[in-house]
Amino acid sequence: MEQLAKRNQWVCAIHPLVKLFLTVFYIVLAVSFSKYQLAGLLCMLVYPLFVFQLAELSFFGALKRLRIVLPLVCLVGIFNPFFDREIVMWAGPVGISGGVLSMLTLMLKAVFTVLASYLLIATTAMEELCHALSLLHVPKIFIVELMLIYRYLTVLLKEAGRVTDAYRLRAPGQKGIAFKAWGPLLGQLLLRSYDRAEGIYQSMCLRGFKGQFYSARKGGFRRADFVYLLAFTTVLSVLRFLPVAEIVGRLVL
Amino acid sequence: MSEKEIEVRHLTFQYEQNDAVLQDVSFQAESGEAIGLIGANGAGKSTLLKLLVGLQLQFEGSILIKGLSMEKGNLERIRADIGYVFQDSDSQLFMTTVSEDVAFAPANYGLPPEEVGRRVQAALERVHIAHLKEKSIYKLSGGEKKLVSIATILSMTPDIILMDEPSAALDPRNRRNLIEVVNELDPLKIIASHDLDFIRDTCGRVILLDSGVLVKDGPAERILTDRALLEEHGLELPLSLQSAGRDS
Repeated sequence: MEQLAKRNQWVCAIHPLVKLFLTVFYIVLAVSFSKYQLAGLLCMLVYPLFVFQLAELSFFGALKRLRIVLPLVCLVGIFNPFFDREIVMWAGPVGISGGVLSMLTLMLKAVFTVLASYLLIATTAMEELCHALSLLHVPKIFIVELMLIYRYLTVLLKEAGRVTDAYRLRAPGQKGIAFKAWGPLLGQLLLRSYDRAEGIYQSMCLRGFKGQFYSARKGGFRRADFVYLLAFTTVLSVLRFLPVAEIVGRLVL
Repeated sequence: MSEKEIEVRHLTFQYEQNDAVLQDVSFQAESGEAIGLIGANGAGKSTLLKLLVGLQLQFEGSILIKGLSMEKGNLERIRADIGYVFQDSDSQLFMTTVSEDVAFAPANYGLPPEEVGRRVQAALERVHIAHLKEKSIYKLSGGEKKLVSIATILSMTPDIILMDEPSAALDPRNRRNLIEVVNELDPLKIIASHDLDFIRDTCGRVILLDSGVLVKDGPAERILTDRALLEEHGLELPLSLQSAGRDS
């Protein structure tokens, strides 16, 4: 993900504060649709699709990366059809209940939120994001905490990889990890990650770290940043506050 | 004229309620020296290095780095002069790319971006890895990681370099390359290692530790050729000398 964010690509070069603002703005607008406004909400797909194109990111690559998260977020509202059975619209001869509609709306909101967050991370390095947060005067302790968690996450994953490799090599033919081995394995993983994280923190302190990550970004806002911000704020506001789906529907019909 | 960079007097250290890891250790080190710190496992080599950069402060005795006493209030000034190369490069390198990691220290010391860029380039060229500048840390080989680790501290332009087992897990070619790089470095170097051949190739002076006690401090050639002394303290002659003995 970091390599994606550090490509020599113009969306990646947009000021992180602009991208952070647009992501939050998009999520707020998307979740503000009422539970039956499926058509209006569908129009919000424009933003992720556009950004995928502009940033030259693979949509299917994103789906592949999010393959664990997306099914989980799709569970949101899965029981709605059982509680709200009143037919609220017809798709030809098929009646669609309020429960189905609200379930689809909730699922879309969750998927859009995940996609917007993915796009932010895929186009903005973590140091840049932290730089944007510091410009917003978010307390330093939170920013450092975020940065360290991000760094240690990699450490944890690496250690987890080593531990599971070592297990598999000594448990041939076994599917997965045996239940009784989970305890010691997790314990080892935590202890090792703790040691490694401590080493990293010591290395940072020995190289002058005083709780501030420095961003390589030079200069402030550029014209392109303002244009990007203005364009997307306008488009998103139009999609949210005008009945775009109805207008398009009338034009088509 | 060489000047005193490190002065350790009657240093004793123990981890909480455990036995002393270092007992009454005293030595001095001057600029430009290359000192090998040798000893069997658990002799206290790594602990001594950690004490010299202030990673542990609850010790008895005194440590002076360039005349500054090792205490909390002086840590920032002391650490700005010392580069510490960790045994495990994965603990040393944590940024995304090589250039970012090498830039970490100078950026933290508040240098302007142009100077940071110059330092990064100079440090990478010094260890002959300028071509790796934009490479991802996760894609480096073991030997490359070690050289990048050294570059991360060279960008601080330290007066003292401490290395903990620098040749561990390196193949012969990378090890030879590392010896050349280390020999080209001017600052005072203290290298803790089990690899006595590496110490012989890089250091002019050797300090021998055994169970936390400084047993011998003297010219590398004299200590590393003293089979009886080395064997008495759990070590063996460097392999190069063993094979030379067999050949003759």
